[in-house]
Amino acid sequence: MRTQAGSTDSSQSTHTAFAIGRQDLDARTSVIAVAGELDLATAPELKWTLLDALEEGHSQLILDLSGTSFMDSTALGVLVGVNRSFEQGGTLAIVCAHAGVLKIFELSGVDGVFAILPTLEDALAAVRARAGHGAHVAEAG
Amino acid sequence: MTGETRAMVDRTRDARRPADRGALLAVVATLLCCTVGLAFIPAASAKREHSKSSKSEATKTSRHEAAKAGGGEAPAVSSGEASAAQEAPGAQEASSAQEETSEGTSQEAAGAPGAATGDAAGAATGKHKGSGHKGSEHKGSEHKKGSGKSKEKEASEPPKSKEGTSGAPAGSGTVGAGAPAPTLATAAAVAPAPAPAIATVAVPSAPTAAPTVTAAKSGLGGSTRTAHRPPRARRTAAAPQHPTGTPSSRAVLGASSSRATLAHKPRRARAVALGRRTTGRSSPLVTTITRIVDVVPTALRVLVVGLLALALLLALVLAVRSRLSARRMRRLERQRAELREDVGLLQAALLPAIPARLGVVDTSTAYQPAAGPGAGGDFYDVFALADGRLAVIVGDVSGHGRKALPHTALVRFTLRAYLEAGLSPRDTLQTAGAVLERQLSGVFATVVVAIYKPRERVLVYACAGHPPPIVIGAGADLGTDARALAPITVCAAPPLGVGARTGTRQTTVALPGRAQLCFYTDGLTEARVGAELFGSSRLIDTLAELGPRTTASALLARVSERADARPDDMAACLLGVAGDERAPAVLLEQLELDREDAASERTERFLLACGVAPRAAAEAIAAAGAAVAGGGTVVLELRHSGAGPEVALQREQLSYIHARRASAEVAL
Repeated sequence: MRTQAGSTDSSQSTHTAFAIGRQDLDARTSVIAVAGELDLATAPELKWTLLDALEEGHSQLILDLSGTSFMDSTALGVLVGVNRSFEQGGTLAIVCAHAGVLKIFELSGVDGVFAILPTLEDALAAVRARAGHGAHVAEAG
Repeated sequence: MTGETRAMVDRTRDARRPADRGALLAVVATLLCCTVGLAFIPAASAKREHSKSSKSEATKTSRHEAAKAGGGEAPAVSSGEASAAQEAPGAQEASSAQEETSEGTSQEAAGAPGAATGDAAGAATGKHKGSGHKGSEHKGSEHKKGSGKSKEKEASEPPKSKEGTSGAPAGSGTVGAGAPAPTLATAAAVAPAPAPAIATVAVPSAPTAAPTVTAAKSGLGGSTRTAHRPPRARRTAAAPQHPTGTPSSRAVLGASSSRATLAHKPRRARAVALGRRTTGRSSPLVTTITRIVDVVPTALRVLVVGLLALALLLALVLAVRSRLSARRMRRLERQRAELREDVGLLQAALLPAIPARLGVVDTSTAYQPAAGPGAGGDFYDVFALADGRLAVIVGDVSGHGRKALPHTALVRFTLRAYLEAGLSPRDTLQTAGAVLERQLSGVFATVVVAIYKPRERVLVYACAGHPPPIVIGAGADLGTDARALAPITVCAAPPLGVGARTGTRQTTVALPGRAQLCFYTDGLTEARVGAELFGSSRLIDTLAELGPRTTASALLARVSERADARPDDMAACLLGVAGDERAPAVLLEQLELDREDAASERTERFLLACGVAPRAAAEAIAAAGAAVAGGGTVVLELRHSGAGPEVALQREQLSYIHARRASAEVAL
């Protein structure tokens, strides 16, 4: 298990301090936890963290938004973009129980696009199930 | 984009400041150089003159002699003054001072360097010694003072002049006795004090007057000389042997004074005493500089002058450079202004001018770019369709700045084309979603598309990842906010370009009475009030406050006013529908389902949110699942009439999409 130090953004001083932490559970699975608000200023950091994990061979990503209170269209754009890059294989599960953020997902109509789950355990299970399903499909193909 | 440009302009302004400072520095340096140069050059030239020209030497000698003369210790002074007066009656006192200084210097150079000027002069002439020299020294110092601060002296010296007359009666007396002029001089010496003002006038008087001055000076300070004009005149008359009209007053002076001197040696002694006192008053700085300049070899002086000239040149070059850079900055600023104008034009091309009234509907639109890097990406359009129908497009392309512009145009014109072709809002979004998917290449767009049918008084709208319009009516039975119709956000369709099927939702609203419709982008609701989002409820409140006749610009202005920060663009489009007090109401909700959707719990939530009873909802979902079991999609329709909603299933009929899906299935 490898842990990478999160980075903080002091420009968000008026709101909850922004932080991203990454924890690699195994060679394929990585959990990225976000605290604070995901907006125009902080979304790029999320993007690079997700892409880094992807480039390092982690095809099963879990984005933990439990500590996130707000997400704007830029952050949604990042998630949509990363999700699309998974089309060649790989899965993204989002852990989110915050009513406001869930509402944003719903309003923007992407709650059907992502696998959004209330807890990290659910997300892990979903990711591994889908990965297994994907492997099964691959074998069948 | 605007923010960026603004920052650039700011930077330009910052950059220009140092240039200004440079110019100022250059000017100061130039002035300094000029001052020092002027101080040096005359001194050097005087020295050169002294050492080289024999003629000047002769003149000097004569002057020295005059200085030595008892009555005319001052003569030299007088001559110097006279010359000063002639050369520069007014403001050139300084230059005259320099000249005099140089004179003194030359004398000093001739004698021992450390010795008093007077002594040096004496040595040079060789004729007079001791006290006589001192007279000349006295003169030298007096010159400096006299010319340097002539007026001041005039004011302060009267007492002294008196002192001279009283304390040294011999001084003036002698002069009087020795020559025809002296008498007059005495008179003059007494007179000066009462009328110092005249003195000034006296200085510039004709060369002839010089001798008189001499007489006055011999006994006293500068003030005396000034007062003596009448005596002078008389003196000239009394001493015809001195050519009054001689062009070189100095020569005349010298001759006359020398004679006087010879006659009245005793006076000199007293004058010397006086002179010493005066010497004490002369500025030590001037003396020091004079001495230093004296010691400096000619070559070095030339070098110094050369350096000064170089410095001057440098200062000039700097000044020119700073001027040029200032001009360049001005040009850059102008170019930036033009650029900003171009960007504005470009934006205007994407955000068309909308007439204030289309058919029976009052329309207004407004756009306000974010004050920062988030600017760009919002778009809108309002236009009339056939049959008097009105179409509205409001959207937001992901990404910001310049890069968002092409996609903004692409999305807006694609949507407009489908609406013009007669597609419903939902079909427009679905078709555009399928068509633009490839072209948007990673960029996605959130859009709301609406058609208002004035004849039926019905608004039909569909969203793709975009907030639904706010519908404010007159009635009280509008929904949770009691002011606006509460839209159902469950099962909202995703944005265009996210790789998911969109155009799945559509809402039809009846507007029987007066109503205000507000289409907006998330820039309004995501504006910050403290740590909070502005939110849709604040937006509804703001609209209610502004009243039904308000405009989109007024709305944006009010939101900007109430918000602390606006991280994104804001675009708004308001439609005003006239009518009675009947409240708007949702007529129909449509949701398109495929096999996966039919199995989703979201569908159930949607039905429940629409007011369908749980049992009826379960039945509807089962029916829909059966309908799409073999592929394709089905549309769930919830019609609101007097009693609860009626649920119905409609087979999807959009041929283009079906053909596309069919071909996709074939390919698989």
